[in-house]
Parts: sequence; structure tokens; C-alpha cells
Amino acid sequence: MASRRATHDTLWRRIALTPTILVFLAMSILPTLNLMAMSVNEISWVDGKAVWSYVGFTHYARLAEDSLLIAGLKNTAIFAIAGVAAQVLLGFLLAWAVSRIARGRVLYRTIFILPILVPGILIGAVWKLMLNYDFGLVNGFIGVFGIHPVDWLGTRAWALPSVIMVDIWHWTPFCFLLLLAGFESLPQDVQEAARVDGAGTWAEMRYVLIPMMMPVIAVTFLFRLVTSLKVFDEIYLLTGGGPGSATEVISYTIYRTFFTQDRMGYGSAMSVTVLFFISLAMIGVLMAGKRGRNAA
Amino acid sequence: MFTSNRREVLMGAGAVSALSWVPGARAQAARQIPFTIVINNSPWFDGFRGAVEAYEKETGNKVNLDVNPFGGSLEKQRASVRARDGMFDLLIMNGLYYQEMYHGGFLKPINEIDANFKLDPQMIRYDNTVFWNEANKTHDPNGKLMSVPVNGNIPLLLYRADLYAEHKLTVPSTWDELLANAKKLHNPPRIYGIVQRGARGNPNDISYDWWPYLYSFGGSLFADEPKGDYTITINSPAAKEALDFYIRMAKEAGHPQTGGLAQAQIIQNLATGRAAHALLVIAAWSQLDDPSKSAVVGKLNAARVPGTAKGKPAPVLGHWLAGVPKNVPADRQRAALAFLNWFQTRDAQMKYLAAGAPPVRQDVLADQNLAKDPKNRWMQAMADSSDYVKLMWSVPEGSQIGDALELRLNQAVIGEMTTAQALNTLSDECHAIMQRAGYKTGKLAAL
Repeated sequence: MASRRATHDTLWRRIALTPTILVFLAMSILPTLNLMAMSVNEISWVDGKAVWSYVGFTHYARLAEDSLLIAGLKNTAIFAIAGVAAQVLLGFLLAWAVSRIARGRVLYRTIFILPILVPGILIGAVWKLMLNYDFGLVNGFIGVFGIHPVDWLGTRAWALPSVIMVDIWHWTPFCFLLLLAGFESLPQDVQEAARVDGAGTWAEMRYVLIPMMMPVIAVTFLFRLVTSLKVFDEIYLLTGGGPGSATEVISYTIYRTFFTQDRMGYGSAMSVTVLFFISLAMIGVLMAGKRGRNAA
Repeated sequence: MFTSNRREVLMGAGAVSALSWVPGARAQAARQIPFTIVINNSPWFDGFRGAVEAYEKETGNKVNLDVNPFGGSLEKQRASVRARDGMFDLLIMNGLYYQEMYHGGFLKPINEIDANFKLDPQMIRYDNTVFWNEANKTHDPNGKLMSVPVNGNIPLLLYRADLYAEHKLTVPSTWDELLANAKKLHNPPRIYGIVQRGARGNPNDISYDWWPYLYSFGGSLFADEPKGDYTITINSPAAKEALDFYIRMAKEAGHPQTGGLAQAQIIQNLATGRAAHALLVIAAWSQLDDPSKSAVVGKLNAARVPGTAKGKPAPVLGHWLAGVPKNVPADRQRAALAFLNWFQTRDAQMKYLAAGAPPVRQDVLADQNLAKDPKNRWMQAMADSSDYVKLMWSVPEGSQIGDALELRLNQAVIGEMTTAQALNTLSDECHAIMQRAGYKTGKLAAL
């Protein structure tokens, strides 16, 4: 009787999951398979129709020699790691500070989350104006202190840090929100016990709050890392990948290959390769997290 | 005293009613279904919108405008022409990418929509880029008419006429003279002698700005494109001389951050009085002479771009052509063509000019009465340039070549590469592009 019931449950679960699996296949797996098929073909247009010519792994072989792709990978890694680390750190500190406020917490929370409510296109326009060499607010401000104007977006030394700074401004509130939710869900008794035992602010932070917040920090970091690796709008709007290849990021390289150069086969090979390495990196990060939790 | 009998009155009434019927009938005949134009939001767009509004008012026909950034317009056009059913009925194509629409077979030859359509003899042919010979892939004037020009963008030298008068300078005809004048007016950060589009653009900034230097110094991208010799010559000594001079201009009299300046910043610097010279398409003129947008109204003038002592000036085409896609219904194709037919009339071109866009009819451009109007003082420079206009390339691989050019030339300007390294890299990259596409190609020895 119990066995029949278990079989019935399993069957029902499978039936219930089928629509979800079909939607997932249609939305995710099929486009990826199409991308893979495109990546081993050269696609041209003759008399208004697409002509696919099989080229094997030629596109993949060229990737290693593509200096722009390599610059894009390097910049994306710097952008993601530096930006997300700063966002999580700042978000953590802000969330911790707000969680300790007894009154006016809603007001602070509203103020801090404003940047994520601003549309990306507006952020690009506003920061481009603020960082303008000749007329920008930032150069006007540093000029008050006798500092020469800086071409924040037009020089190799400053362009990537400037874009990272805008990204930090834009996304720190998101980290703040997740981490604040984490702080608010922590058991108060453990913190009170630590204080009763004489733990100071730093000791409480180090031995109580950070260990208890670690799962939330890890999820926030991972979530932001995934979205940060896909950065496009800020680069597109602020620098266009320049000067030179100083702010070239992988999404922008793929975009230009697909849409500016109209090389769909090669662009697909780039996309498949990047997808593969990002998946590998994510699996690695998840496995490391699992190992860490098991060790703890 | 005027008298008339009943018969005369009836005849008169009949004539009046016939006369009043004729325009009505014409309007009826010209009545078209609504259609959609996909266009970029370039500085001349306001003029184009003005012409479209005039057309709607005159004919009662409805035109939808789908307005996009430069790159976005290209992406939408590609998506539309490659679909089974196209969204857009009239494509406004730039001189740098219309080739892929011709080569790809996406456009309907205009006389297949209306066998009687004729391009007005006064319409400028822009190096015959409106025609296409499918068999030999050339702009053969005996080939099929594929498009109608809507904008004749070429770069002109814009200069501060008030400062020229103050310093008693003469309008330069060579790059050396321009550099000398720019140095005299260079007083940063109050005013830069010249501002150049040195940024890596999407799709193009620096390549368009540098190309007049390249041609007039005797350089080129291909050895002999019209004859089918696609040997890459972008790293010739002449090309290096042109790039060295461009960078020298930036260093000695230019903006300190030339590598970060795109067209918008050039216009900004000119409009705020911070630039004494710039090469700029005339489409931006209406903004620069508009008191609500410019601090230098009436102070700028225009001249043909300079050349060298040994080479002619070479204003390069950045023009725009309107083509009708194959994959839209016939009634929408006819509606789009009816607009183009109206657009090429002298009357429409006068309205186009009045709305702030440069006309594409020779008789309007060369109209001395119009040129006398101070607000049209750029027209003489356009007329002076027409004999020297050159196309950058005519191959559909231009979008790949342009992308490579933008990166490497920008790297040379910002000092990330030497000029020789940048041009040698470009030579390798352009050679690879042409080789992949199956052209007869080759390359020069590295510099």
C-alpha cells in the first residue's frame, strides 16, 4: 500500500514538473544548443537569406589569439572582483550600522536604496556628465582644492576605476538590502549573550556577527558576482570599452562582435566559451562553499 | 463693365469645379497607407523630422518614425530585414553600412516597386552609391537604383571666424596651415586650437575624423578597390605620415584628452566656445547656430577640409541613403516610395533646409540666393567640397574593418601603441578579414 502510494507520488511529481522542465528547455537549453550550432558555422546573407557554412572549430581556435577578448576577460575579472568585494564590504557596514539604529531605520533604508531604483540609462548619462573632463561636477569640485582636472573616463589609468566606482555606487544598495535582511533575522539572544560575556564591538563583529552572517554574505557575493560578470550597460554608456581596450569587458566584446561586426559564428563561439568558463567558476565556488560548510 | 451670359457662367463654374477637383484627385491618388521609417538620432534628425511633418501636412499620409542611436538603428535594420516579415518600410542607412544591405540582397530595387520612378537629375549621386550592379558588385550608374540619398554628410572644417578676423588669419587649405592657425589660437583650458574625434567609437569616431588626413597624405585602405585589388595598404609610409600628423595636431594644438572625444564632445566644445577648429559634419550646424544651444552663434564659419601640398583635400562620405526592404508588403513599399518621390522635389528640399538639415539636391545647394543668407553660410563650403568627396570603402565587411580601425587608431592616439604598431596590427587584422571573406588580398611589409 505504502509502495503504491510512493510510486503515485513520484509519478505526480514528475507530471507536475513537466511544464516547468519544458519551459526551461525552451528558454534556456534550446538557445544554448542553437548558439553551439552557430559557433561551428560561418553565417552570411545571400539574397536576403542566411547561408550557414560549416567551419568546424575554426572560430574556437581563433579565440586564444584575440587580444580584445583577452583584455575583456582580464577587465571583467578585475571589474567583478574589485567591484563586488567593495559593494559587499560597504553594504555589510551600512547594513550593520542601520540594524543598530532603533529609530528612523525605514528612512535610512529608503535613502540607501535609491541608486538601485534609478534606470541604468540615467545612471550612465548622469555619471558621464559628472565625470566630463571639461564641464563635469567632479572636476569642478577637485578644482576648488587646486587639483588639475582628470579625464576620468578617457585615460587608461582612470577609466576602469571610474567605471568600477559607478558600479559600486549603483549596486552597494542591493548588497545592503540583502545583508540588512540577514542582520534582522539573526537571533538576538546570541548577540546579547556575547555582550553579557563582555565582548566589545569588534569582538562581537568578528566572533559572532560575521560567522553568523557568512551564509548571507556568500549568497550576496555570489549573486552579485554572477550579475557583475555580465556587466554591459555601464560600459556601453560610459566608455564604449575605451580608451583603447582599457574598459573592454567580455559582454561588450561579444556585443560588438555580434551586433557591430555582425560576425554571428565567431560571436557564438565567444559566448559558448565564456558560458563554459563561467559555469566552471560557479561550480568551483559552490563546491568550495559546500566544502567550507561541511568542514564547519 | 464685366458681363457674361449664362453659358459663360456655367463654363466658368465648370472650370472652377474642375480646377478644385484636380488637386483633390491628386491628393487622392497620392493617398498612401501609414508606413514606418527607421532612422538614427543624428544631429540632422530634427531637419528630417521637419520634412516628414511637412509631408504629412501636405499629403495627409501618416509616417511613423522609429528613432534610435546610431548603432541601435543598424541593429534594428538588420533584425528587420532578416526576419520573414519586416517591421520597417524605409531604412535610413549610413554610408558605412548600406553596403551590407546591397550585398545581402535585402533591398527591393526601386524600379521594381514603381517602374516609372526616376531619381531627379538634381539629386546628388554621392559617388553613385545609390546604384548597384549585382553582377559585378559595383556602384555602376547603369545598375539598379537601390536607394535615394537623404543626407549628404561630409566633414567640413568649422572654424571661429571671429577669432580669424581678430588674429588676421586666412582659411587654411593644407593641414600644415591648419596646424599653424590652431597653434596661434590654442590657449588651454580656455580654448583649444582644435578638437578631434579621437575616441574609439561605436560604430565610428576616430576613423571618420582621420580619413581625410589619410587620403590627402596619399594613403588608403586598399591598393585599388574599384579595380578589385584589395591588398591592404593601411600601413604604408603615407598612412603613417597621416597618423603621425593627426597625433601631432592633437599634441601641439589639440584637446589634452583627444582619445576620449566623440562627436558629442566636439559639438559641446564648439558650442561652448572652447574650440577654435574642428572637422565636423555639417548636420551639427543647426545646433551651433541656435542661440538656445550655442554660445558662438554667428561666430563659426565653414570651409572645405584641408589637404596637403601633394594631395587633394578628401572629405569622406558619411552620407545616408534611404532604401526599401524586400520583406514588407507591396502597399507599404509604395507608401515609402511615395515619400521619397516627394522628398526629392525642390520644394521638399527647401523645407528640409528650413528645418535645419543640409539638402541633397544640387540646385538647392548651389542656390546663390540661399547661400547669401548668413544662416546658410556653410553652403559654399559644401559646394566647394563636392568634387573631392570620397567613399571610405564599399565592401560589406566595412563594419568589421571599422571596428578594428576604431580600436587601433584610438590606441595610437592615447599612446598605448606607436603609430607603426597600430597600423601594422590593423594591416594584419584587415588582411584577415578580407581573406576570410574570400577577396583577392595581400598586405604590405610591416613598417
